[in-house]
Amino acid sequence: MIGILICQIALSIILAAIFLIRPSLTSAAGWKIVAFIGLCVLPALCIVGGMNTHLQRSEQTKFCISCHAMENYGKSLYLNDPKYIPAQHFQNHRVPPDMACYACHTDYTIYGPFKDKLKGMTRIYMQYISTPPNPITIPGGFKNAQCLHCHAGARGFEENPVHSATMSMLTSNQLSCVSSGCHDSVHDASQVDHLKMWSPGQ
Amino acid sequence: MKLSAIGIQRLLQVSSALVVLGLLVEIVSLLWFHPLSFVLFAFVAASLIGLGILVFLASLVFAVSPLDERRGG
Repeated sequence: MIGILICQIALSIILAAIFLIRPSLTSAAGWKIVAFIGLCVLPALCIVGGMNTHLQRSEQTKFCISCHAMENYGKSLYLNDPKYIPAQHFQNHRVPPDMACYACHTDYTIYGPFKDKLKGMTRIYMQYISTPPNPITIPGGFKNAQCLHCHAGARGFEENPVHSATMSMLTSNQLSCVSSGCHDSVHDASQVDHLKMWSPGQ
Repeated sequence: MKLSAIGIQRLLQVSSALVVLGLLVEIVSLLWFHPLSFVLFAFVAASLIGLGILVFLASLVFAVSPLDERRGG
């Protein structure tokens, strides 16, 4: 996919370079159309294609953990203990491993992905201009909708007596899935270097 | 408003230069796997390309053709 985009960009560069060197070509009607394609249509398509590629890339696990502040969160996906929810989901492919962060942290609403990108920009600001908070927290807290997006309606989830008794509190976010006493073992990023790790294929 | 002094060819060169530069920056941003590559694309490449497109469209709207110039603009 990125190869096609690079070819499109190369074609646009060639066309634009022609008019950079010989702008007088546009005096002919046929070249006016070529100029419109080369300096307006193709570059606009390159912006759209580039934006699409960058947005898809930002959903990848390796992209999220490429920030220094996120390294330990990436390592925590390999914790060798099933009580750690992110590690359990990642290692058992309950979320796509190459999109593990995005699968659990995206906002599953119509403008959710757009809001996520805006939040991502504030994190880039904190990483390179300001200072990342320690510990890193999710603004507004972790929303149950991100768990319920997959688990709601699933037999194993619905038949669990604790889940069925607290369902209204879970759906209204009054009780967090990751609250103390429930699924409270999440990333534990500060301790990750002292815990036993799983390595694929061992 | 007519930009007779600048002319369509000069605007086309400016537009082409902006588009070429923006597209080269876009290639760099696509080949560079780093959180800042998105910033490079969104704030530098897309801005340069967008500006190039705007200059091209402005050249269509405002520039005076050589025929008009001979008629006295």
